[in-house]
Amino acid sequence: MNSTLESVLTVKNIETYYGLIYALRGVSMEVRKGAITTILGNNGAGKTTILNTIIGLLDDQPDKGEIYLMGEAIHRMETERIVRMGLGYVPEGREVFDELTVFENLQMGAFIRRDSKEIHLDIEKMYASFPVLKERSKQLAGTLSGGEQQMLAIARALMNRPKVLMLDEPSLGLSPLLVTEIFSIIKKIRDDDGISILLVEQNANKALEIADFGYVLENGRFVSSGTSEELRSNEDVREFYLGIKEDASAKGFQRYKRKKRWR
Amino acid sequence: MTQSEQLHTVPAVFLKTATAFSERTAMRQKRLGVWHDITWKEYESQSRFISRALVARGFKKGDTVAILGDNCPEWVLIDLATQRIGGISAGIYATNSAEQVKYVVTHSDARFLFVENEEQLDKWLQIQDQTPKIEAVFFWDKKGLRDFNHPKILSLDKLWEEGRSQSDLDAAITKMEQSVSPDDIAILVYTSGTTGDPKGAMLTHRNVTWIAQTICDMDPKLGISENEEVMSFLPLCHIFERLFSVFIHITKGYTVNFIENLDTIADNMREISPTVGYAVPRIWEKYYSTIYIKMSEATFFKKWLYKMALDWSSAVAEKKIYGKEVTGLQNLKYAISKRLVFDKLRERLGMERMRIAYSGAAPISPKILTFFHAIGLNLVEGYGQTEGSGVASGARSESFKPGTVGLPIPGSEVKLATDGEILVKSPAVFKGYYKNEEATRETIQDGWLLSGDIGEIDEDGFLKIIDRKKDIIITAGGKNIAPQYIENKLKFSPYINDAIVIGDQRKFISAIIVLDEENTIKYAQDNKIPFSTYADLTVSKEIQTLISNEVNKVNKELARVESVREFRILPKKLYEEDGEVTPTMKVKRKFVNEAYKNLIEEMYA
Repeated sequence: MNSTLESVLTVKNIETYYGLIYALRGVSMEVRKGAITTILGNNGAGKTTILNTIIGLLDDQPDKGEIYLMGEAIHRMETERIVRMGLGYVPEGREVFDELTVFENLQMGAFIRRDSKEIHLDIEKMYASFPVLKERSKQLAGTLSGGEQQMLAIARALMNRPKVLMLDEPSLGLSPLLVTEIFSIIKKIRDDDGISILLVEQNANKALEIADFGYVLENGRFVSSGTSEELRSNEDVREFYLGIKEDASAKGFQRYKRKKRWR
Repeated sequence: MTQSEQLHTVPAVFLKTATAFSERTAMRQKRLGVWHDITWKEYESQSRFISRALVARGFKKGDTVAILGDNCPEWVLIDLATQRIGGISAGIYATNSAEQVKYVVTHSDARFLFVENEEQLDKWLQIQDQTPKIEAVFFWDKKGLRDFNHPKILSLDKLWEEGRSQSDLDAAITKMEQSVSPDDIAILVYTSGTTGDPKGAMLTHRNVTWIAQTICDMDPKLGISENEEVMSFLPLCHIFERLFSVFIHITKGYTVNFIENLDTIADNMREISPTVGYAVPRIWEKYYSTIYIKMSEATFFKKWLYKMALDWSSAVAEKKIYGKEVTGLQNLKYAISKRLVFDKLRERLGMERMRIAYSGAAPISPKILTFFHAIGLNLVEGYGQTEGSGVASGARSESFKPGTVGLPIPGSEVKLATDGEILVKSPAVFKGYYKNEEATRETIQDGWLLSGDIGEIDEDGFLKIIDRKKDIIITAGGKNIAPQYIENKLKFSPYINDAIVIGDQRKFISAIIVLDEENTIKYAQDNKIPFSTYADLTVSKEIQTLISNEVNKVNKELARVESVREFRILPKKLYEEDGEVTPTMKVKRKFVNEAYKNLIEEMYA
């Protein structure tokens, strides 16, 4: 992996337990400054657990290992402090406040800030980036469409002016057209605002299109990593994550999968 | 039963046992979480239904059936159904590619092919036009294939149905069973073939029934009986597994247990707790390194207890092995360690009932054997080759010397040629390679089987294996070195899974190392060595140092010329599918030397 870029988020040898379940079995990774880094993996591989461990949502976790945000240790720190240090999080399923309006949601996003004047400017900035949010500013968030809610969730996370933004499955449950839009927004956030991004996705095709680097997670451990191009040409990634089969069954259909080798 | 009264054909042995044990459990398999039993009576009738259906389709004595799939009762039923009517059964490794399947199917002249499932069936579909001799293909796992139609393909269930109704064929089948002669071919065992095409070793009914009876008789104190439980997980086409899952099984009438899949071995072992164990060295090494690592992370007290117990019992085990006297105090300490530590440990491993365990198919480090003796498991080594029906010599429970492969089996002769090559003569020596007279002539000379291994025989008649004749390294300095000896020492390290020693025509000895993934990852985690994938680990400085220390440890036990001066860690694990290891996980030296040529040249640059 390209090591010329500085790492803004560094995860070292973390091990996380979910109750008695050994969910992360030794995970080390880096998010480079100004880059989009993606974690690919199937359901249950432990992708969300990585994000939850980093942001401090799991009590007493990681069990072992260290996490550094721009050089400062953040493992086992309270979520609020981590967020104040510049880490943004867009959780899976968006989690916008349904009973609040779009405007109020954005205000909530800046809960750690005291500079009300600046906050207003930022809200205007969000309206400029996401015109649809401006149109719906007085509407209750619960009445928005899935795509609009996703945009609101992203905009709300940006209200804290994060240096690093983590997104969990932003494409989940969205129409293909909206998925494309969300991904171009993510790319734009990186390009225009220089925010480094950690993207967790099941839609490997889309993720690798915009990402610079990627890791493949299986059973709580990385089995492969590299630049997007490297991953896209990896035989196992192609078959198991991109759904490209080199030699298809003579029957025309196939239900089993080849054994993964990860080389 | 003595050898002279022994039955000499598979159907005779099988029918005698099936009749005698009728309602007892012959096989057991776990499916969807529940163990299912197959009695000897069912084993007999279900294999007979397959025989009937094959005969109805024109199957004759001497015709070949090929079987492609992982271990399960169906595999064994088809195997027996073929052999009992004088057919030849040829197993194909489930991991083989379509191209390799084509080779075996074509070379063996198979008329019928049995496949496990959709994945295996697809291999044949790719080569169907090139295997016109195959008249029909039967599959036993129907998942994904219920609606699939093909003129040559049928499910095993349908074949069973065909056979079930045709009881009128039983007279013909009995006649066929009786007309099988001891010198007819029972099975073809295709060698994995590290060079050139695989060769099909022809094992006769006499070969396989003789070796099975001999293995049972050679250790009277052990007394293998119908009450044994064994676990079947090595590939069935390999002679080692075939002996225990088929030939010794039908001789003694015990129970063979089939695992759910390779990931559940540990659980299945605990559930069944086999009384006789057998596995290849790689598996015993893995057990050892798992215990080693588990203990290194135990609490202080447990660690201390384990270490003390292991010291005590290793001392006693070694003395017992070498026939030295054990003092009363030592015996007491041994008894305490056994009670406090090792009985529980063996229970965890599902080995508390195991009276004997065999290691075979590749050489094992004497240190591993001694370790298992110390924890109270009677693990001994056997030696043999496919061409000799699997076993030429073996340790007995009464006479065991680690570092040797025991005494030649009763009824056989073993001697050394002038160059040290081991030669074997016994009723288990095969008939030759199928359709390959040249190779047969090179392998059997004047009735002696040329093993291809260099060995020594000590003053007590124990056989010691040095190495494969063609693998012996002659250094540029003219020294003869057996790579196996060094490799086994390296593999004793819990962090080294495999080692390939190099040095033929070179200035010094070097090695290619394959890491033990679990244990090295654990080491990296404990020592805070960041890595994201296995490949990263193999290039990490700290791991290089770790392995370098392990290599240095081994070098202290080696002569100067043998010491490993350079090593490289392979960036990947070895896979059977990549042609790097055989189905019993033996490294294919030639292939690895070729594939990692650059890495090797780098060490000598």
